[in-house]
This record gives sequence, C-alpha cells and structure tokens, in this order.
Amino acid sequence: MSAGSGNGADIDARAAAWAVRSAERALDDREQRELDAWLTADSRHLGAYVRAQALWLDIDRAVALESGARRAVPPARARNWRPFAMAASLALVVLGGATAYDHLAGRVETGRSEVRHMVLEDGSTVTLNGDSAVQIRYDDKVRQVILRRGEASFEVAHNSERPFVVRAEGLDVRAVGTEFVVGIGAGGVEVTVEEGVVAVGGTASGSAAPRYIRRNEQFVAATTGPRKEVLDAADVERRIAWRKGLLVFNGQQLGDAAAEVNRYSDLRVTIDDPTLARAEFMGVFKLGDARAFAGAAASAFNGEVIRRGNELVLVRQQNSPSH
Amino acid sequence: MDHQARLRWFAREVLPHEPDLRKWLVGRLRGLGSCDVDEVVQEAYARLWTADSDSIRNARAYLFVTARHIVGEHVRRSRIVAIDLVADLDALNIVDEEMSVDRRLSGQEELARLHGILQTLPPKCREAFELKKFQDFSQRQIAEHMGIAESTVEKHLAKALRLVSEAMKQAPAGAEDGRRRERRFWKWG
Repeated sequence: MSAGSGNGADIDARAAAWAVRSAERALDDREQRELDAWLTADSRHLGAYVRAQALWLDIDRAVALESGARRAVPPARARNWRPFAMAASLALVVLGGATAYDHLAGRVETGRSEVRHMVLEDGSTVTLNGDSAVQIRYDDKVRQVILRRGEASFEVAHNSERPFVVRAEGLDVRAVGTEFVVGIGAGGVEVTVEEGVVAVGGTASGSAAPRYIRRNEQFVAATTGPRKEVLDAADVERRIAWRKGLLVFNGQQLGDAAAEVNRYSDLRVTIDDPTLARAEFMGVFKLGDARAFAGAAASAFNGEVIRRGNELVLVRQQNSPSH
Repeated sequence: MDHQARLRWFAREVLPHEPDLRKWLVGRLRGLGSCDVDEVVQEAYARLWTADSDSIRNARAYLFVTARHIVGEHVRRSRIVAIDLVADLDALNIVDEEMSVDRRLSGQEELARLHGILQTLPPKCREAFELKKFQDFSQRQIAEHMGIAESTVEKHLAKALRLVSEAMKQAPAGAEDGRRRERRFWKWG
C-alpha cells in the first residue's frame, strides 16, 4: 500500500485493501501513518476509501437478510424544499412575416418573463428579451431598429443595398448579414457578435471611425469609456441562452445569477449572506423560474430558502461543501 | 454520528445513487480528457464525507450538485467549455423532488444481486469472501481453513471487495423500471 495518486482504478484497489484491513482490526501506528499520508495526498483517496468502507460494511446488511432477519426501513428524510407544481409562465410568441411588420409599425415591448420572437418583412428576425422595447423603422434605404430598453438579439437577412442598423443610446450598430445582440444595461450598451461582423459607430462609440466587432467579440459603450472584449464561444452561448427561454450559469457569482433571475420574475431571490452571494454557481433554468433557481442554489450550497412576502431569501447553513 | 453510523448512512443514502451519477457523468465528461468518471465520483464522495451529513437533507441532490461543481471546476480549468455540458436539462432537475423516488432494491433483490456478483469472482477469492461475510470468520480463521497465509487472505478479500465495488458501479437490473417511470416526471420542455 504505497502512496501515490494513480488512476481511478488504482485508487479503488488501494482503498479496498485499506477498507478490508481497517475493518478487520485496529491499524498499528505505522499503518495508520501510512493510511493518513495516503488520504491526505489526494482528496480522491478519501472518497474512494469512504466508498470502499461503506460498501464493505453494507455487504453485512445484505448478507444478514440471508438468515431471515429483516432490516428496519429507515424513515423518509425531511425535505427542506417543496417543488412548485407550475413553472413560471413564459410566453414565446412567434409572429409571421408581413403581418408582424404591420403590427410593429410603432413600438414593441415585452413584459417580464416574456421573450418575443419576431420575423420582419425582409426575413430578418428580432428576439426581444424580457422587459425590453424596440421600435422598428424600415424604409427603402435603411432597415432601422431602435432599442429603447433592455436587450434584443438580431439575425439579419443579407442585403448590402439596404443596411440594417440598430440604434441604442447614441450607439449605431450596422450590419449587413450577421447575428448579434444589443443590450442596454447598467454598465452601458453592450454589443455581442455571434456570427459575421458589425460596424459600431455613433456618438457613444467613442470614435469617429467605425469599429468592427467580429464573431465572439463584445463591444461595451460604457460610461467610463468604450472597450472591446474577446469572449469564448461558450460565453456567447451563455449570454444568449435567454433566446431559448433559458438562463445558463457556468461559474458566475450567485449574487449576479440571482439578479439575472430576478429580471424575469416578480418573485425575487434575495441573498442576505455576502459570502454566499460571491459563491460560484452553475445551473440551467427556465426564464422566470425563481423558485427552481432558489431551490437549486439552496441545494448547491446546503442552504435554505425562506419565503418572505414576495421574496425568496437564501440563507446558508453551516458546513456547506467547498466549491 | 460515529464512524460506523456515518458509513452506514453513506451506504444507504449515497451509494444507491452512484450508478445514476456515473451514467449522468459519462455523457457530461465526453471530450473532457482531464477528468474521468471515477475521479469525479471519488472527489464528490470526499466532499460529501467532509460535509456534515446531518445537514444533508437530500443526499441525491447534494451528490449530483457536488459532482456538477467538480465537473465545472475541471471545465473552467481546462477552458474547453462546451455549452451542452451545463445546458443540460437533466442537471436542472436533479433537485426535483420526483428524483427522490425510492429506487433501492428490496433486501431479497439486493442479496440476489450480491450472489450474482460473487459468481464472477475467482474461486479462492470468492471462498475467502464467503467465509468472511457469510460465516463471519476472522482473517486468521480463513487462513487456517484454506491453508494459506493470512496476508494472502487479506489480498483475496481486498480483491473481492474491489470486484464487488466495480460491479456496483452499474445500475442493478431491477432498478430499471423505476428509472423509466421517473424520467417521465422530470422532463420538461
């Protein structure tokens, strides 16, 4: 039983040997030191050892049944979270071509927990995130969409004669045939390109000449000054998961994740504990499903959810697992 | 809880979910060369063991969420993120109550399964195991009975445990029905 990490199967073999020996008799000092050294060398060793010991012990229980002895059925464990029968409502409306355009002569708005998908007369599509508003102004020379509030994703039908321009708070985003997302947030206007290239200009762009933003790049017209960031494909996908009616978290801080969730829900998730708010969180949720989010976060951090009026308050318990 | 009681808790509340966890992990770890299923399970068990078991109300959810975090740590370290790794509807539903549907085998099924596994053990290994577990012999008594060294008995037993534990990584045949019924509950969208 020498130390060393090894692969999963090696670890299981060593763990089995230690489990058999420690169940047979008390280990002597030298053996105990050897076991301790092995266990501290790699946390996986502890996991394998716990598993082996538990199995070895549990075999006795199965074997005991052979002689006719019945084991007591353990009581069901109490549960801290009651799932809600209904998922939050999420409207995903698809409007058809020309009809949609007539309908959109003015302004289009979405409420919370609503994502609206629209096909415009030229075949371009606009997906409006929750609590957002756009105004569509098409003429012979230019296809213009003004983002008034929130966030919208665009898939632009190619037409070099008639550029597609999205305006948001003094920023012009010009595309020929591409996919991109424009959002107005607390930090300024964000432009994220999924496919193709867009040219960013206008007073808020911080420069007279247009800046070109390519696939998987993001431009932020922040109040502190414009900046460009390169994202990886997964980041981009995560940011646009709302289009599919999903929220995806992949290691974001729980507090930020809750803010995202709250955007789509009247029931708000609140995190009182600042260290909990900074914990990294992963998960996928339906837009607007604050309850599922709170329940999952509570499970992940071994916390509890307390309902307080219109709030779901996340509270941490002691001995939560490390992440 | 003392050590033995905790091990028993672990065997009853955590181990039965391991085949499901492994199945779930196989799909998630594809193409993620830096970690394998065994490693994630071992790491998850280590964390579960170090956590306070009294405060773990739903061991299955806790296990899956812990494993998901471990996978996430690997993903972030390796920076070869695939969105489907996290955009996984099953992952979302692991905390649903429907998942707590009891899928344990009955005592008799469990015993039959153990006997089935024992059939696959090498003869000496199996003999030592049966003397130990069914006859409650000490290793010394087994050594005398089989005419082999005590250290060899220990090796046989360790091998038997390893082979049994390997077999336990797969879901037992009897649990299939329960799973199929359950899936219908936790699929949405």
